[in-house]
Amino acid sequence: MRDQISKYTHKLISDRSALAGGIAFAAQDDTLITGGNADLALLAEEIISGLNCLGLVFARPSLPFADLLVRRAPAGEHSIVPRDTETRTFLHDIPFLRSFELGDDPARRIAQLLGNRKGVIVEGIGIVASGAVTIEQAYINYSSVFHSTFVKYLQDVLNEGFLLPGEEDLFSSFRSEWLRHLSAEGLVFRTGPLTLPEEIIREVETVGRYTVERGLVDSFFGNISARAGDMIYISQTAASLDELAGCIDPVPMDNSTTTGITASSELLAHRRIYEESGAAVILHGHPKFAVVMSMLCEEKDCPIRDCWKDCPKVRFLGDTPVVAGEIGAGGLAKRVPPVIGGPGKAVVYGHGVFTIGRKGFEEAFRALVEVENWCRDEYFRLLA
Amino acid sequence: MHGWTGKILRVDLTSGKAWREDIPLELLHAYLGGRGLGVRLIRDYFMFDPFAPEMPLIFAVGPLCGTAAPTAARLTVVSRSPLTGTIYDCSAGGMFAWRLKAAGVDALFVTGRSARPVVLAINGEQAELLPALELWGKGVHDTVSALAGEGSVACIGPAGENGVLYANIMMGEGNSVGRGGLGAVMGGKGLKAVVVNGEGTTAVADRERFDHARQDVMRLFRASPVIFGELGISEYGTPALVDLMRQRRMAPTENFRKTVFPDSGNYSGPAIRKACGAKKDGCFGCPIQCKKSTPQGEPLPEYETVSHFGALNGIASLSAIVRANSLCNELGLDTISAAATLAAWGEAKGRFPAPDEVAPLLVEIAQRRGEGELLSLGSRRVAEALGKPGLSMSVKSLELPAYDPRGAYGMALAYCTSNRGGCHLRAYPISHEILRKPVPTDRFSFSGKARIIKIAEDTNAAVDSLVACKFSFFGATIEEYAELLSAASGMEYSPQSLKEIGERIYATERFYNCANGFTSADDLLPERFYEEPGSSGEGIDIPPIDRQRFNEELQKYYRIRGLTAEGTFADQGFLTRQP
Repeated sequence: MRDQISKYTHKLISDRSALAGGIAFAAQDDTLITGGNADLALLAEEIISGLNCLGLVFARPSLPFADLLVRRAPAGEHSIVPRDTETRTFLHDIPFLRSFELGDDPARRIAQLLGNRKGVIVEGIGIVASGAVTIEQAYINYSSVFHSTFVKYLQDVLNEGFLLPGEEDLFSSFRSEWLRHLSAEGLVFRTGPLTLPEEIIREVETVGRYTVERGLVDSFFGNISARAGDMIYISQTAASLDELAGCIDPVPMDNSTTTGITASSELLAHRRIYEESGAAVILHGHPKFAVVMSMLCEEKDCPIRDCWKDCPKVRFLGDTPVVAGEIGAGGLAKRVPPVIGGPGKAVVYGHGVFTIGRKGFEEAFRALVEVENWCRDEYFRLLA
Repeated sequence: MHGWTGKILRVDLTSGKAWREDIPLELLHAYLGGRGLGVRLIRDYFMFDPFAPEMPLIFAVGPLCGTAAPTAARLTVVSRSPLTGTIYDCSAGGMFAWRLKAAGVDALFVTGRSARPVVLAINGEQAELLPALELWGKGVHDTVSALAGEGSVACIGPAGENGVLYANIMMGEGNSVGRGGLGAVMGGKGLKAVVVNGEGTTAVADRERFDHARQDVMRLFRASPVIFGELGISEYGTPALVDLMRQRRMAPTENFRKTVFPDSGNYSGPAIRKACGAKKDGCFGCPIQCKKSTPQGEPLPEYETVSHFGALNGIASLSAIVRANSLCNELGLDTISAAATLAAWGEAKGRFPAPDEVAPLLVEIAQRRGEGELLSLGSRRVAEALGKPGLSMSVKSLELPAYDPRGAYGMALAYCTSNRGGCHLRAYPISHEILRKPVPTDRFSFSGKARIIKIAEDTNAAVDSLVACKFSFFGATIEEYAELLSAASGMEYSPQSLKEIGERIYATERFYNCANGFTSADDLLPERFYEEPGSSGEGIDIPPIDRQRFNEELQKYYRIRGLTAEGTFADQGFLTRQP
């Protein structure tokens, strides 16, 4: 398990979701082991001792958004509710503890909350997340909380402005120091059409890694596929986009076998996009500014409440269509295929971006970069 | 009262008396219902012989039964297995569970032995024993038809009447309480069937909270490729796993001598759909509808059944497999143990049964005549009788299902730590080792598996006590079900508190087994898996299981559970401290 702790410590640093030196893991085999920041590790050890789970991560996020959300929350509230579809589906809500609520036995208080949910925000200390089955699962839950707080904070700032002393300065440093320029420059793509299975699988692995390395997606959020003739080669469910070796399922277009039962939950959406658009490849990720902007709606007096699944309209972010739809067997697979063919890109409300390539992945990748950059620029334009 | 009824119906078949009692609320809170409640209620009886009149046969529903909680119209039957000698439980979905709850009870507790065959008829507050001599000897279909006008039916077929050690209790809609021979326990009591009707409703404490939690569950179902994916079990039923197990090279073939069957495509999910016109079917109130049936309503076989009547016996004929499944349902036989017993017998004899020999053999088993007399005892006793005990592919005498342990090491460990013998459903590591839910784990590594198996066993013991279907957890988690339970019962439950309840249930079962003589010597796989490789190929190596590494992980498991190195309890006062 120590190799897993080391691996996911490095991932938290490389994906810039946690501060180096501010990360601790605890894991229970027949003995309890910890690693990382000594103070956090001690706390992590005490917390996991009170839980029936295998792994736990406690880390200081690289951005202050989780703490700021806690401080902005009204006095009587004890949790934040993610607004993006993906994390809301899996997290429901994220409990938080304010500093003064920790009392004499913070580990016990945190364990009580973590016994109910996958992740908890502890004001002034960090985000703590558990993994019932693996250390990787704790990392995924941490990433989900980080993603969710990022999206919600940006949305709240856009809607409500800065409310706290010093908040605007923190946001400015986020913009000037944390955010990085997104581009596809310097990347090498195979020129399509791709026809050989080995060639396709290698390219899917490579491009999946590109999306994470370039900061377009968090590694566990998204999926990728390529079509060659009657076969779709698609990333498996719960696969990390930067570790796709051995995690790509060949699925026949006619469903003549069910080996693809382990394929991404968006297999149906991919299949229909191929059927309707003639695409050769599909990329799907959850770049954060696109997620934020997709939920910005200026409709007045609209009777629809569950916009993320019920909105029937096609809105636009620049020239990119935005549609609603639940993940998996929900409406996404119906609403994306009709709109993606022309522009080669589409955004799903509160969820993420789909892009296609007619020959290879370069077109899809550049479109993903373009959508996120447009949304980022538009966000800051509106904020100004 | 919300969630529960707080009542138990006790029936003594010897005296013919039936009466209701209160169940202490603290027991319901501490054991939930279903498996947990049954395990608690059997505390004073667990050392009796499975066929002793004193041994109870307990039908227990859970606090979510009767509500709109997805997949919760289920019950668990608990007793001691005549096949394994262990404490035994098995759950089944369907209208019977719903109506038992509607009759106003959380549990039906049957003891004694009737001098003549009887049917227990429950109609709301009324319960009576009716003579059933004319039903004795009849198949399941005729029995259900005869009683269907009175309510929902749970009954035995000829296999249960004749004491076949892997006889099922069959539910009227085609579900079964399978594996451990509880149908034989029922038959031994002279109880042909239970028919139940009721009109009560289950009160939900917080409707708004309940509906919100239900929507959360349904959203997760829709996001799960295994449940509602276009290649998932809602579309193809559990035979959706046939192709996957072939591709992973872990489909038990020819009594586990091999792990790939070249003709498995004959009975894959798509093949069954094409050949049989399979349509969606399933348990009452379940949104998943993973069962499949013919256009005429005949239930089609599930994954374990097609694989074991297929690959395990070297049979490629889908029609022979479907016929075997239908016959088992009619006779009240467990399909996994029946097929695995035939495979062990076939290997011992030097020839697996031909497709057209299977049906006559199943009839002989149910009637315990001819070759069936021996085969009715299960593979362990068959192999021992034939002087080849190593050919029984079982753990604690329970035949292994259709996941070769050489292809999934968590599964290997879980077969052995299961309190009811070689069962895949106690910890269900196939979920993460193969189906990548909730996250993938390395199927060829033991690392961390002892802890993972322990946590999963605890979680699933709670799930079996709610009672919810395991398949729900390919999408949802215990987090959403804790919320459903809290909303339904008005008591606060968390995933952590449910796992603690599950841990109590699991430890109690283990304690019963240890008290009945089980030790670490019973927590081992058949020798074949440590000595012979599976069918390697296509870049996948299936070596024998490393015995030393397996034993290390088993010892870790014992330490995590607080057991001795022999897998037993150092503290003989464990039970007295439990509620």
